[in-house]
Amino acid sequence: MDKDLSRLLARYMEGETTQEEQRLLAKYLMETDPLPEELKPYKQMFDLIGERPEVPEAKALKRLAPSPLPLWGSASFSQDREALAATKPSPKGGAGRGLPLFLAAACLAAFAFILHSLPEQEESLAVAHIDGKELHDQRLALQMGQQALQEIFSNGNQEEELSELFNNP
Amino acid sequence: MKHLLLTLLACIALPLAAQEGLHIDKIFRGEVVGETAIKESLVKGESLAPYKLRVLRTAKFTVGEARRDEVETLFEEDMKGRNDDDENIELEYRDGHLYYAIVQLTDTRKGQHRYICYQCRKTMGGHGITLVYMEGKASLADLRKTFKKK
Repeated sequence: MDKDLSRLLARYMEGETTQEEQRLLAKYLMETDPLPEELKPYKQMFDLIGERPEVPEAKALKRLAPSPLPLWGSASFSQDREALAATKPSPKGGAGRGLPLFLAAACLAAFAFILHSLPEQEESLAVAHIDGKELHDQRLALQMGQQALQEIFSNGNQEEELSELFNNP
Repeated sequence: MKHLLLTLLACIALPLAAQEGLHIDKIFRGEVVGETAIKESLVKGESLAPYKLRVLRTAKFTVGEARRDEVETLFEEDMKGRNDDDENIELEYRDGHLYYAIVQLTDTRKGQHRYICYQCRKTMGGHGITLVYMEGKASLADLRKTFKKK
């Protein structure tokens, strides 16, 4: 057996091969005819676990995965597709999760921008609270507001007026 | 990403607030002086258009010395966010206590001004306090012209 092939098979058995190496290995084992006797057990093993060049669906799933998938060496799967489907991207940094969240944030930002750009619709409200009672009387509320402002803004004047009144009877 | 979404939501919600975020909001909410002891008015919208205002909130109440000090402290805390331009502030202290104040706060939005006003006078029953929060395009000169008695 070729040394390179032997080394590749050894690495495969250790689960250290890349997907591309696995694909080449599977292709070699399936297409070589006649296959050397010593490689037949490997071919049977590949047949048994369903290791074969990726089908288009599997490739599509792989694009969403964050890193090369462990196609072999794990006892939890028997088919490429199942393995790909069962392998979830890591919670952080998964491209498949990041993209929709980014889009959601972008939509929200656009919504906020539009909301702030719209002309303001002033909410009209007039409420007065007297002796713990809530009165929805616009005239009264406005009158109370005006009086308070007049008192404050006329503070100096009133003081002067009072002073004049007491000093000049 | 979650933080980004929360920040965006906050940007939408915050401009909806008026005097919220100020220390005197506690007074308007009746947390310092009981609701029954306070005469309060809140006006928003079109009826304030002649005064170039969009929000006007006032409160009048009479309190003893301890409460007066508490109200004064809250108002003074809010004064820290004032516009220090001399034209935008009127302030007077008597006997070591705040007697009268009209303060323009730093603007919330372009073209909008925020003001807080305070007046405390000795009355028969204690200290009569008038507190005002207002928001709008009116300048302090506009407000003086409109509300100062001649």
